[in-house]
Amino acid sequence: MKRILPVLILALLGCACSQESAPLVASDVVVSKPKPGMNVTAGYLTLSSHASQPIVITQVASPQFESVEMHESVIEDGMARMYPLGGLTVPAKSSVVFQPGGKHLMLLRPVGEFDTVSLDFYAGKAVVLTVNVALSD
Amino acid sequence: MGPRNIFIAAVAVTAIAFGTWLSFKVASPPPVPQVATVLPVPGELPEFSLLDHNGNPVGRDVFKGHWNLVFFGFTHCPDICPLTLQVLSSAKNQLAGDGFTPLPRIVLVSVDPERDTPESLAQYVAYFGDDNLGITGDLTQLLKLTNGLGIFFEKTAGDAENYSVDHSAVVLVINPDGQFNALFGAPHEAENFVHDLPIIMSQQ
Repeated sequence: MKRILPVLILALLGCACSQESAPLVASDVVVSKPKPGMNVTAGYLTLSSHASQPIVITQVASPQFESVEMHESVIEDGMARMYPLGGLTVPAKSSVVFQPGGKHLMLLRPVGEFDTVSLDFYAGKAVVLTVNVALSD
Repeated sequence: MGPRNIFIAAVAVTAIAFGTWLSFKVASPPPVPQVATVLPVPGELPEFSLLDHNGNPVGRDVFKGHWNLVFFGFTHCPDICPLTLQVLSSAKNQLAGDGFTPLPRIVLVSVDPERDTPESLAQYVAYFGDDNLGITGDLTQLLKLTNGLGIFFEKTAGDAENYSVDHSAVVLVINPDGQFNALFGAPHEAENFVHDLPIIMSQQ
């Protein structure tokens, strides 16, 4: 039974996955063009999980930017501060919102010219979500 | 009721209506700012010597002749700074749409003079509208201005290229006499500026 249990769990997970289109989906994705002369911009989106377990996003990467970081802006005691998010937990069957003045993706140093940005969300070494979005003004 | 009585009644009704209107008019308090804090006595700015976004030397007189909405931020800031400048730009556009004059000038004072050159500031402030002013320059001179206005900023951990700057999030109102007149605390909403700014300006 001990040997069978992991297989059963995997099979059950497989059933769950086949019923849901994807464990993690993105909506309201906005990535602005870097401001004139700037090599940095922000990305906003809503991550919604259909998984029955929390998903921890450990890294975000994009072929169009040298670096992508997850940050959170906060106003504390009248000060605007920005904290890096080491990892981002999307709770089971729940959503996390990235929006102006709060959590955001910081996209640094664009590589070449492009109109569409691809974002890969990693949980450890696995890409759990890829999002393609046209740059907005 | 004879014509004389009708005349007296008409005069009485008119007098009561006028009196009621007058009492409302006198009783209505003048509008007050909803969000902004107005200084009881406008404060003089400290002396400083920095550069505008065209590379020209500027001191405290640069604020004179305009109503200035002054924000302290930096161009590598991806979220709060463009968000705040968009709010100020939107407020200015709404005031312009209402036919309000004079329109305030939006000023970005860089708290990251290491990376924010006049050239980069010029492109950046122009993105958020016409007639905006960017100020940057020597750190020691910048501190004269910020310390004099109670503005705090601090570079955070990172490498030489990639670091952030924590900074005061207030927007200051500097009047056409170049005096610190009022301040708006964060988070900023365009409608607060649209409501409060004409009141602040009318009290000058």
